[in-house]
Formats: sequence, C-alpha cells, structure tokens
Amino acid sequence: MAQMWITMGPQHPMTHGLWTLRVKVDGETVVDTEAELGYIHRGVEKIAESRDFTQITPYCDRLCYVSAMTWANSYIYAAEDLLEVEVPERAEYIRLIAAECQRLASHLMWLGAYGPDIGSLTLMTWCMRDREMFLDLLQELGGSRMHYNYPRVGGVKRDIPVGFADRLVAKVKLFEHRIDEYEMLLDESTIWLVRLQGVGYAKAEDMVNAGVSGPNIRAAGVNYDVRWAHPYSVYDQVDWEPAVEKPTSVKGADCYDRYRVRMEEMRQSCRMILDAIEKIPGGKNTNYANGDEMILAKAPTRAPEGATGFSHYECTRGASQFYIQGGGDGRGKNPYRLSIRSPMFITIPYVAKTMIGYKVADIPAIMGSFDPCIGETDR
Amino acid sequence: MGMRVTNEQADMAAEDAVKKLSDRFGSADVKATVEHHANAHKMAFVRAHVPAQHWTAVAKYLRFDAAVNYCSMVTGTHFPEGGADRGWEVVYHLMRQPVTNQAPNTNTVHVAESLRGDDIPLEYEVIITLPQTETPTVPSVQGIWVGADWNEKETWDLVGIRFEGHENMHRVLNPHDSPEGFHPLQKQHKIRYHDFNEMYDDAQGFGRKPTDEGRVK
Repeated sequence: MAQMWITMGPQHPMTHGLWTLRVKVDGETVVDTEAELGYIHRGVEKIAESRDFTQITPYCDRLCYVSAMTWANSYIYAAEDLLEVEVPERAEYIRLIAAECQRLASHLMWLGAYGPDIGSLTLMTWCMRDREMFLDLLQELGGSRMHYNYPRVGGVKRDIPVGFADRLVAKVKLFEHRIDEYEMLLDESTIWLVRLQGVGYAKAEDMVNAGVSGPNIRAAGVNYDVRWAHPYSVYDQVDWEPAVEKPTSVKGADCYDRYRVRMEEMRQSCRMILDAIEKIPGGKNTNYANGDEMILAKAPTRAPEGATGFSHYECTRGASQFYIQGGGDGRGKNPYRLSIRSPMFITIPYVAKTMIGYKVADIPAIMGSFDPCIGETDR
Repeated sequence: MGMRVTNEQADMAAEDAVKKLSDRFGSADVKATVEHHANAHKMAFVRAHVPAQHWTAVAKYLRFDAAVNYCSMVTGTHFPEGGADRGWEVVYHLMRQPVTNQAPNTNTVHVAESLRGDDIPLEYEVIITLPQTETPTVPSVQGIWVGADWNEKETWDLVGIRFEGHENMHRVLNPHDSPEGFHPLQKQHKIRYHDFNEMYDDAQGFGRKPTDEGRVK
C-alpha cells in the first residue's frame, strides 16, 4: 500500500493551538511524523530587551494563556536572582497559593480539552464549571481573569483580600470532592479506558534525555519535581508530596498514567493550598497595604553588565526556565538578553516521534495526554 | 511535610563535580567554579567556561561519566561591542536528574534529604565564548542529548549561532522562507517602535514602514 503524508493542523481539534503535525501514514498506521511550530511566534525575547524588569511581567503572563501566574512567577524568580532581592515570606506563601490555584485551573483546562479528544463532551462542561472557581480566586488577587500581572520583583502586587482565605478553603474543599466525581465518571468509562490504556508509551530515561519534564516524567514512575530538586518558594514548609504513578508496562507510561498523575497532582495542589493558607505569616485575614514590607521588598531596578539570573520553575506542563543577562539599555534597566525555556517546545517534537507505530485515531489521545500549549511553545 | 534538597547537599554535589571536571579538563583550559544563585534558597550550581574546540569532549564526559542526562536550554547572545575576544556567547544549561526506567508496577520515590552522590540533582551552566566573527560556530551536541536538538535549532534560528554537525537544521520559530542570514535576536536588528518618540509621532501607524520591508514575507 502506498504511503502518504497527511497534514493535521494548524486548525485541527487535536492540536490544542496553532501548530502542524505532518503524519506519514501507511493505511491507518503512522510511520513518520514531523512537527511544525512557530505559527504564533511573538518575539517576546526580543521585546523584553527594550522593556525594564517590571514591564516584562505582563509579557510573561501572555506566554501561556492558561497558566499565566506560573509563567510570571517563573520570570520573577530569574529577575530576583539577577537583582539579588530577598523576598518576604508572606509574599512567598501568597505566590505559592496563587501558583497552585493556577495549576488547578490549568489542569482543569487540560482535562476539559482532553475529554472531547477522547469523545467525552461532558468533561468539557464540568471542567469549565470548576475552573471558574479558581479563576474567580485569581481575579481577586490580580484583578483580571486571565493575565494577572500579579508578582513583582521582591514580592507581590497586592495582599490577599479580607475573606479570601475563607472562600479559598471552601472552594478547594468542594473541589476535592469534585476530583472524586471526575474519577467516578472516567475510570468506569469503557471508552476512556480503551482509548487511553496501552497507547502512547514513553520511557522515563528517554523522556529525560529528550528534555521532557514535569508530570510527564512523574507518570513514568519517578517523583522528580523541580519543587524539591531545585527548590524555590516555601514548598518545603507545606504539606505535600509529588504525585507519582506506577506504570504498568516495561515500555513506560501510557496515556492513562499521564491522566492519573495529573488527577493526583490536583489533589496535592489542594492539600498544599489548604495547609499554606493556615501557615501564612501575618495571618490569613489581615490585609497589608500595597507595598508594605510584609508583601513587597525593595528591589533595585538596574543590573550591572555581566550579572546573570536564572530560575527553575515547575510550571503546569513541566520545568520552565528563564535566563537573563543584565546590562542592557538604560544603564542596565533592561535585560541585555532574556532567554526562555519552554517545556512544550521540547516536548512536542518528542511526542511527535512517540506516535510512530500507532494508528491515526490514537494521535489525539497521545498528543492530548502530554498537555500541549502553543502560547509558551512559540513565545 | 514537603521536602527539598538542602544547601549542604547541593554544595557537596557541586564541589565534587567541579573537582572532577577540573582534574580531567583543567589542562584543556576548562574553568569550572561553584556558584550560588541569589534568589529563593540560594542553591549551588556549577559554572564552567569551556573553549569551543573542547566542547564535544566535555559534553561526552558530562553525559556518560557525570550522569548529566538533561539538556534543558541553549542560549545564544550577540555582543557586537564585546571586544575582539567576546563577540558571541553560547550558554548551555544542563541538569543531572535522578531518573531511571522503572520495572512494571513499581516506582521510585526519592526522599530529597537522603539523596547522595550522583543522585543529587545538580545544575550546570556551560559558557562558550566565541570571538568577534561573522560565522559563530559551536560543535553540536545533538547526538549526545536528544533534548539539545530543538534547542540548537531555535538558537540558530533566532541568534544565528551555527552548530557544526547538527543534522536537519531548519527554521523553527521564524517562517521557513525567511531570508538567509536573518536572525532577529542579533543586535543590529531593532524592533519597530523601540523608540518612544517614534511611537507618539505616529500613534496610529499610518506612516509606518517596516524596517525590513521587501526582505521578509
């Protein structure tokens, strides 16, 4: 039978964004693939060279539009490394809570988009309903639903509002029950199991070598997590443990393991939030004024030439990294060079190659299980 | 309670790595030092300055002898005013991660505080400085870390660093038909409206002409 190339994307339900997967098929079997990226390249790295360190934060929000808080935090830690800033502990707790709320919202977005891929449209409506709770909470902090521009070099923009803690606890406790509901819906659905189990195997060592990170690694049976391996924030003081799966095959983790690990990770995020809000220094129902030293430290605005800043961050899709070289325009007010490492930029080409040998109908199941996001991929 | 790699563990791992790297490559002008981040928990990492001609040997050593299994990021920087010796810089960020394949139905649950030796996660920053030249060239490590493949493609695409021996090099973020030699992160390219006054003289952009008109589709 003749082989032929099929182009999936840039407009295709499987892609979860704008990119193209070119697939070479032999009948129904995938024999070769090629990923094409770059459709929404905005040039954030170039723009950052003409912005000062505070002005860059909103651009980093927009790197990934379903996980804005974690990307802004990720940038802020690199800027703090460059400018050598000590962050107050209350601000670190607030960032942790905000980032974990964002992780919940982002994983819900992933599950909501993955459901229709597999044929479960109910999931979309349920996940959007629950995601709303966390967007409301983040809106209370940052003022908007999507791009918060919340962290600052040295702390956060605003303190948590009075009453935020009660609403947070109520919503997170409700959501813990909702996770059980999702599992009841999915783990007994034959379609879900048949389409996910035994599909899209990926081995731990192969993934690390290829640069894949985050939940996708933990699905393959190792609890490696940036939050303890290259620690930042106060993750060592709150109650949690990294989600990790036991893959059932020597071939590594399948799509079902990656789904399971994200469900478990949502539970851990809930656990972390509930613990952190009780331990927050300065009290959970106090509201410090903007710029108070409890939530925002004084930070220099200029970095000398030759200084560098670097951050690891466990974003919702894997390890994001920023590398900043100081000493740009405005006598060091701007970065000379800002470089972004996006986990999905590395993961998508790898995933494209893991599809070889499976059927065309498995492509959405495999691609969706790695949680692609094109905003951060193309930067 | 949560856990984390302690500062003592990271210091120990970094000092050990620097010592081994210096013993092996000190005569080849590889300068390795232990550095500390200034943010969060001020963790230690290894910074190594490697001459371009020894990079392949150092990379092979790191990958196969020092258990560095993860190439996370490649950054190229253009220094048009950096002097004759420093026109370009390529920075590789590499990680050592305690990740191994698992037998079916088992997993590895590391406890950060009890990790020892090569199991301690460690970060390497490898800096390769290149002289002022039209054709900055670095040997590719695509064959050593699969993860370097697309990172190097991106660095060539945006900055114009050439990776010698890289197979299948092509544009990834810029359009495929971008003119040859067009690498937007080189410093001679200015973004439109980088100047405040220019922006407010013509806020609507009616008189705007792209600086690269006719060259980029």
